[in-house]
Amino acid sequence: MSAAPIPPLPPLPAAAGVGASADEGATVQALREIGRIGIFAGALAARLFRRPFFWSEALYHLWTTTLRCLLPVVAVTLPFGMVIALQGLEIFRMFGAERLLSSLVSVAVLRELSPVLASVLVAAQGGSSTAAELGSMRIKEEIDATEVMAVDGLQYLVLPRFLGLMLATPLLNIAGNVAGLVGGYVMAVWIEGEPGGIFLGNLWALTAPMDVWAGLLKTLVFGAVIGLVACYQGYNTTGGAAGVGRAVNDTVVQAVLVFIVANYFLTSALFGGMGP
Amino acid sequence: MSFLAALGQFCFFLVDLATAALRHGIPWRAVLAEAYKIGVRSLPILLTIAVFVGTNLSLQGYNAFRPLGGGRLVGMFVALAGVRELGPIIAAAMVAAKAGTEMASQIGVMRIREQIDALDVMAVNPLAYLVAPRMLGSVLVMPALTIIAVFVMLASALATAVFQLGVKPAAFLEFAIRGVQPIDLVYVQVKSFIFGVIICTVSCWFGFTCKSGPEGVGEATNKAVVTAAVTCVSLNFFLSQLMYGG
Repeated sequence: MSAAPIPPLPPLPAAAGVGASADEGATVQALREIGRIGIFAGALAARLFRRPFFWSEALYHLWTTTLRCLLPVVAVTLPFGMVIALQGLEIFRMFGAERLLSSLVSVAVLRELSPVLASVLVAAQGGSSTAAELGSMRIKEEIDATEVMAVDGLQYLVLPRFLGLMLATPLLNIAGNVAGLVGGYVMAVWIEGEPGGIFLGNLWALTAPMDVWAGLLKTLVFGAVIGLVACYQGYNTTGGAAGVGRAVNDTVVQAVLVFIVANYFLTSALFGGMGP
Repeated sequence: MSFLAALGQFCFFLVDLATAALRHGIPWRAVLAEAYKIGVRSLPILLTIAVFVGTNLSLQGYNAFRPLGGGRLVGMFVALAGVRELGPIIAAAMVAAKAGTEMASQIGVMRIREQIDALDVMAVNPLAYLVAPRMLGSVLVMPALTIIAVFVMLASALATAVFQLGVKPAAFLEFAIRGVQPIDLVYVQVKSFIFGVIICTVSCWFGFTCKSGPEGVGEATNKAVVTAAVTCVSLNFFLSQLMYGG
């Protein structure tokens, strides 16, 4: 099935790591790990443009990831929208400006809360289950079996999962936007008794379609980070059942860490981070 | 239906845990060891996350209030949102992601290697020996981690506001102090205490009910972090409503 063969991945680290010695510092190990992730990303990118592309696999993983994460994402953004409305009301009541509440809620939800919370939940649910899946396939030597049958494991198993995670995150962000705004409405109008017409009228006072697009762009980047980390950790799992647990653990921690840091730079770039 | 059954089993697990801890006494040495592990291992990631949540809180608060002519209000926004809500939540999320997943996968591995059955056979109560120290340890460190996260977040928000956005430090601090009351710190501690209990019991329970094989461990770890995070955030709403609402 290969017309133009891609050079195989460099040998992946055994448990101790290739060439890693015990006296090597944590910094060197971290750099080595980053380098390996970079090589892994390059190998995935090369396979993106190489036939065959497994459409049905990619769509299947997109669909299952979205479904699997939908409930957790909504279950987190809805209460958070409510809490933001609750605390926002307190600020605005101090200044007698309750009518501005919905503007604040929509700014907070669309720009920041929904993208970040949706991505955290995708990392916790979708990323970790992808890592667990690939990890247990690696431990049970299913990936080796695939490769023995001349099917490229990265292309058939990893790339569709990566794309599924990357594209599911923006979709789930849309669900998170809606749930967060609904949560704000429920809190402000039903529980605190603010007039509903004013809430809806001011909802878009401070936001523009640009905010939604920026949220989608952010979550696409976050989704790519989650997908890359999850696939890397799962694909390179070593050490039996305990190794699968470790891979899942590392996936959640590393993915969240990287995209929260990226979030600061993206936010500064997209919404302008400079003073007056 | 299966959800209700699992919830019921979880409640029985809690009752068993409480009776085991009462009957066998509290192993203080193990509690301190677990507290150290949970606290120290979660701290670096929690600090990093707190710094960057603080910067973003500042950026977004400033951008949201500037059209209203209230760039200075950013201090109040940061104090309200950061101290009351985000501090406890990010501490809970990170402890769930780091320490909680570790508990779930460790106990899960012990379960599938039949080490827990071995403990039972040796008449050592696994709940008292494995779960109770983790539980008390996380309850001990969660409030401390949360307070650290809150102050680091405020410091990074202040730095962002002053150096990047050009807000005057005095204005920021004045509004920040008007935003929170001392009682808020007590509420934060109450929240983080409850989150610590939830994270630990949920993670250990998923470890205990781990299905066999590597994919069982993966699934247990996955479910532990998602369930803990979702429960904490939804409960946070009820706690906030109880503390600040009405």
